[in-house]
Amino acid sequence: MKLHIRIPVIIIAFAIALSPLFVLQVNAQEATLSDDQLAAIRSNCSSTTNTLNQLHSNDALLRVNQGQLYESILTKLIQPFDERVSHTSFSTSDLKSIETNYGQALNSFRTDYQTYEQQLSSALNVNCSKQPQQFYGSIDQARTDRNIVHADIVQLNADATDYQAALKAFEQNYDPTAASTGDTN
Amino acid sequence: MDEVEEVKKKPSYMSEHKFLLLIAYSIIVSLILVGISLEIYNESGAAQLDLSRPGYRSVQSKAITNDNELQTYPSTGTVTLSTVQQFEAIYNKESQQVTNIDAYGGDPLNPDALEISTPTTDQ
Repeated sequence: MKLHIRIPVIIIAFAIALSPLFVLQVNAQEATLSDDQLAAIRSNCSSTTNTLNQLHSNDALLRVNQGQLYESILTKLIQPFDERVSHTSFSTSDLKSIETNYGQALNSFRTDYQTYEQQLSSALNVNCSKQPQQFYGSIDQARTDRNIVHADIVQLNADATDYQAALKAFEQNYDPTAASTGDTN
Repeated sequence: MDEVEEVKKKPSYMSEHKFLLLIAYSIIVSLILVGISLEIYNESGAAQLDLSRPGYRSVQSKAITNDNELQTYPSTGTVTLSTVQQFEAIYNKESQQVTNIDAYGGDPLNPDALEISTPTTDQ
């Protein structure tokens, strides 16, 4: 095969090989809907789509604003404080362990929100008038994904509260003799 | 002899359409690169934080853009009871901002809430 033919063929083959990555899969749960239910989805299609669009943008705003706060608490407060304490003779195992848990919960929140957002987006791309069953399945999956995101938030809040309690305990057990450090502020 | 030389000098398809091929390859390569970029944009999580996307314009103005209010706590220095108490006050104030909100709570995707009734599931 000549070079001028071979190159486009290779490029096209490469593009075709990558194409599945660009397609958002709709994970429609197998569900049987009655005719009445299908009719209800079709008749409420417009209002449901509007509600979902509103939810989609509100959840995105929440992700940006809340995510920023959670991130700031970790990177601007917890991590620097733990590092500061680690330079002294104080025991930091409790604080460090909560820091690790908080970091893991924050990572889970990021990835789970991404999964949820992609699922909700793909649900919004389903034509609810023409494919009500697939639409229902997609919404159901997005609902499950949103509950997982909520569980991550509950975990993050629990870790934030645990850190608060650990700080209180640290303060109550404060021993001035362990405060020695070579650094100065 | 002259004929042989003429055949040898006849330009190939490549050299005849060099410029067109260059444009075609450039377009194909740029399309692939755009596709890869979009994939990275979607998969990295950047798309979820990008409120300039068309669907998010209604809430774009409500995004917190000034994140500089909270200063980074110094990671070096002495740890006295006073510094611990000061840090605790800052931490409590900031953490309350997030723990007071039940983000992603409720069940807005409930079929009843969306007025699409519950089906019988085939499993």
